Amino acid sequence: MWVLLKRTTKSGFLNFYRNGSLSVAAVSILTLALIIISIILVLSITANLGLKYIQDKLDIRVYFKSEVTESRILEFKSEVSRYKEVKSAEYVSKNEALDEFKTNNADKPDILKAVDAVDENPLLASINIKATNPEQYEVIASSIENSAFKQDINSINYRQYKLVIDRFSTTLKTVRKTGLFLFILFASIAILITFNVIRMTIYTHGDEIEIMRLVGASNSFIRLPFVFEGIIYGVVAAVISTAFLFPMIKIVTPMIVGSSYVSVVQADFSRYFILIFLVIVLAGILLGTISSLIAIRKYLKI
Amino acid sequence: MSFEISLMPMIQFINVQKIYTGAANCVALDDVSFDIEEKDFVSIVGHSGAGKSTILKLLYSEDKPTSGQILFNGEDITLITSKQLPRHRRRIGTVFQDFKLLPKKTVFENVSFALEVSGHTDREIEESVPQILEIVGLHTKMKSYPREISGGEQQRVAIARALVHRPALIIADEPTGNLDPISAWGIIQLLLKINKLGTTVLLATHDKDIVNNIKRRVITLDQGRIIRDHSKGRYAI
Repeated sequence: MWVLLKRTTKSGFLNFYRNGSLSVAAVSILTLALIIISIILVLSITANLGLKYIQDKLDIRVYFKSEVTESRILEFKSEVSRYKEVKSAEYVSKNEALDEFKTNNADKPDILKAVDAVDENPLLASINIKATNPEQYEVIASSIENSAFKQDINSINYRQYKLVIDRFSTTLKTVRKTGLFLFILFASIAILITFNVIRMTIYTHGDEIEIMRLVGASNSFIRLPFVFEGIIYGVVAAVISTAFLFPMIKIVTPMIVGSSYVSVVQADFSRYFILIFLVIVLAGILLGTISSLIAIRKYLKI
Repeated sequence: MSFEISLMPMIQFINVQKIYTGAANCVALDDVSFDIEEKDFVSIVGHSGAGKSTILKLLYSEDKPTSGQILFNGEDITLITSKQLPRHRRRIGTVFQDFKLLPKKTVFENVSFALEVSGHTDREIEESVPQILEIVGLHTKMKSYPREISGGEQQRVAIARALVHRPALIIADEPTGNLDPISAWGIIQLLLKINKLGTTVLLATHDKDIVNNIKRRVITLDQGRIIRDHSKGRYAI
């Protein structure tokens, strides 16, 4: 078994090496197909990361009229926490809201002065609600609007996020759809070209194959070198595509996410590098193997 | 039981018929039956198209008969599957008129190739190949390429390759067809030597002088039928 694997991989490498320009053609087109699959992957992951980042920031703020007592607000909090769509609800008192406001505007002395000039705290107490699923904010908001606490509520703040989420979801869907289409297109072309390269190899090895059969080479011994040849094309193409990957991330990420998120997303991205690399290598091996299996089935008669 | 097996011929053709279907239906073998004992040296003679090569092809399972049985050591090889084929081929060495050597491999590599593809270890190869090349008288030309040696020598390389995994049977299809009379006789002597060492040899030829000089069993074919089978035969058509 070991001898079989050793000799057939060696023949596979020799085929790859001796095919010269044919190998270059096969590797180039496979690289193209793999770059497309990496673009889809990178875009999907980037968009997903961006979406996740934004979703973490999302919440509904329910502002209460200034005359509503703290105990009434806490009553609301415990009721809202019972909604199954709600992940967490947090009470922010008037004072906490003021502190938060001051921290957020620490670099704007005019605003701070204006706030100090007012005797009474102008900010409202609120409950910050996070949903288990970002699509449920609308449901939560309408439930609150129809609840017994309707009279106490000054405003519910959530709609401005909907736009951002929608934009992301749409981008994500488009990326996946066009990406999948392009991938299928280029993968088919890649398989077609690689298959033809392997067919040529099979033809040029006609005499050798005939003698192999006569001296009793096992079927796998005759077939495996061509399978390995296909796999080698795939792996080489995968390595080249990966070399394109990091510069590509740098270019693509700012295009898809708002620039303020770029650093966050990119930092997160390196964790996915191994995963992406493995997916590309696997895709390369798969494309190469499929190509060689088709060629062997059609042209290698045993 | 073992007594019965030892009496069994190595090869048995039982009512074998081979018809090539196509534009013209051609009967290549018509109800052919014969036995070949182990360690025998048998020449099959006849005109071109008499069915010599068909018999050999059926034996190394390159082709299947239309009807009839072919037993090899008692096993019906007409039933062999493509998976069992390599094992069957390793029991048989084949030699052809056109040598079938690989031009880009040296003499040594051409012979070792047969062992490599059937999964022998490097060590076995290093041991066996020089031994076999010594038997065929080419141990001094191991590093030569086929184009650098004569036709007779090329055929010796082919015989070495056929012999190297120590088959029980050597099939030679017109092995002297491309050679001058002296080289041809050299090849036949080599086949006789191999036969003397215990390998059964089946030789298809239409070279009258060679057959008459061998003085061993001759099966004569004509239009797909056996017309003569003499144990010390002569070429007589």
